[in-house]
Amino acid sequence: MSEKPIDPMAMFNQMLGQFEQGFNEMATKAMGSEDFSRIMNTMGGASMGAKKTMGDMMERYLATMNLPSRQELTNIGERLQAVEARLNEIIAILHRAHPDVGGLVKPTAAPRPPRTRKPPPAGSKA
Amino acid sequence: MSSAASGPAGDITSRVQEEVQRAIQRSIKGVEYFASSAPPVGVTPKDVIYARGPMNLYHYRPLTDEIYRIPLLIVMATTNRGYVLDMAPGQSFVEYLLKRGYDVFMLDWNAPKPDEKRLAFEDYVLDFIPTAVKCVQEDTGEKDVNICGYCFGGVLSLLYAATHAGGPLKNLVCFTTPVDFREMKLFQNFSSQKHFDVDHLVDSAGNVPPELIFTSFEMLRPASRAVSQVHLWENIWNDEYVKSYRMFDRWATDTLPLAGEYFRQTTKRLMWENALYNGTMTVGGRKADLARIKAPILHVVAEHDHIIPYGASRPLIEKIGSTDKEEVMLKGGHISVVAGPNAVKRLWPKLDNWLGGRSV
Repeated sequence: MSEKPIDPMAMFNQMLGQFEQGFNEMATKAMGSEDFSRIMNTMGGASMGAKKTMGDMMERYLATMNLPSRQELTNIGERLQAVEARLNEIIAILHRAHPDVGGLVKPTAAPRPPRTRKPPPAGSKA
Repeated sequence: MSSAASGPAGDITSRVQEEVQRAIQRSIKGVEYFASSAPPVGVTPKDVIYARGPMNLYHYRPLTDEIYRIPLLIVMATTNRGYVLDMAPGQSFVEYLLKRGYDVFMLDWNAPKPDEKRLAFEDYVLDFIPTAVKCVQEDTGEKDVNICGYCFGGVLSLLYAATHAGGPLKNLVCFTTPVDFREMKLFQNFSSQKHFDVDHLVDSAGNVPPELIFTSFEMLRPASRAVSQVHLWENIWNDEYVKSYRMFDRWATDTLPLAGEYFRQTTKRLMWENALYNGTMTVGGRKADLARIKAPILHVVAEHDHIIPYGASRPLIEKIGSTDKEEVMLKGGHISVVAGPNAVKRLWPKLDNWLGGRSV
């Protein structure tokens, strides 16, 4: 009768799995309490307030230095994207109105396969 | 002597040798891990056929000579990126559908901009989804459209279907879609009406930051991230494991912010009032009762879903007005049920069997 050899890695993995399950269960129980909800939301509110105050201060500092904030740069980037999107829409409209005009290439102009497909018969793997 | 070498002592020796090899590989690959960029995701060829505000509508290029008549529009959850359904060749739900002959579109979401903090359910349900449906109809020349919603994309699809009962929705597929929000116990406690001031959060932050969304998901299983990193280190010699880990980790941490008003409505109408379950949900003054939905529906739930527990998704089939309706519970978790090796074997063929015959 042959004994199964000891596999330390398998034992470690089993232990890790048990730890994960046990810890998650314990945490789920703790996080389900009203005290947890109260403390989490109090801390979350305070952290959100502090983040906003810090953000406002930084914005004022950058304005004093005559520098754009990250948000302002992001907004400019987004505006540019919006302009590009509007241009694409205009090109699409022009393409519909004048399909033969050169340069107005519709991005999805590739020919489509026919819409005639039927499901394979039951039991077939194709 | 030779029998001793091939016995238990020999097994241990070869196991030790293997572990030493792996330890060396771990050191080499560990350096590579930090020095290399993450594997590309969402690479199935596609065209953006419409983009406005937070909405991006993709059309994936067909991969077969003949496709089903009715196009399929996938509606992604608003909290995460759509590339979870298109991770990598061979591990892509979208690629699978294309190879099975579907004409696939996806409504994916961008992060809402600060000036879009007032976007609400009305925008998503009465503007973005109908616009996407109209684009699909125009692009394909077909009146009928099938819709497949994942997680909160499923909730939005249900709200759309309930407020557009006259069509053109032909068939509806929902993956892990919550209906009874009381059953999302931890989220209920995190957003307890007694302690959570959603108005203060939205009024001060505008859009809800992605860190908050990410942390809420992580808190559902607080030990799992640390354990997954131990597993990563253990398997870092294995290129396939590392590639898969990086793709899923990238997706999980690539959480989107939520538009402030949309989050406020989610908290008040769904989490606190449970309006979808109670049949009192309205969007822009239109009644969004699940009983109004008559289209055939397939609802796929995951046996070990820690984000949307079964209790939260179970009432969908009972509440919906469709007569052709089916719920299927598959092994796996919230993400593994739709993406990864389990999904390839379980969900994808199941969906193909259900939808193929209904797509002609």
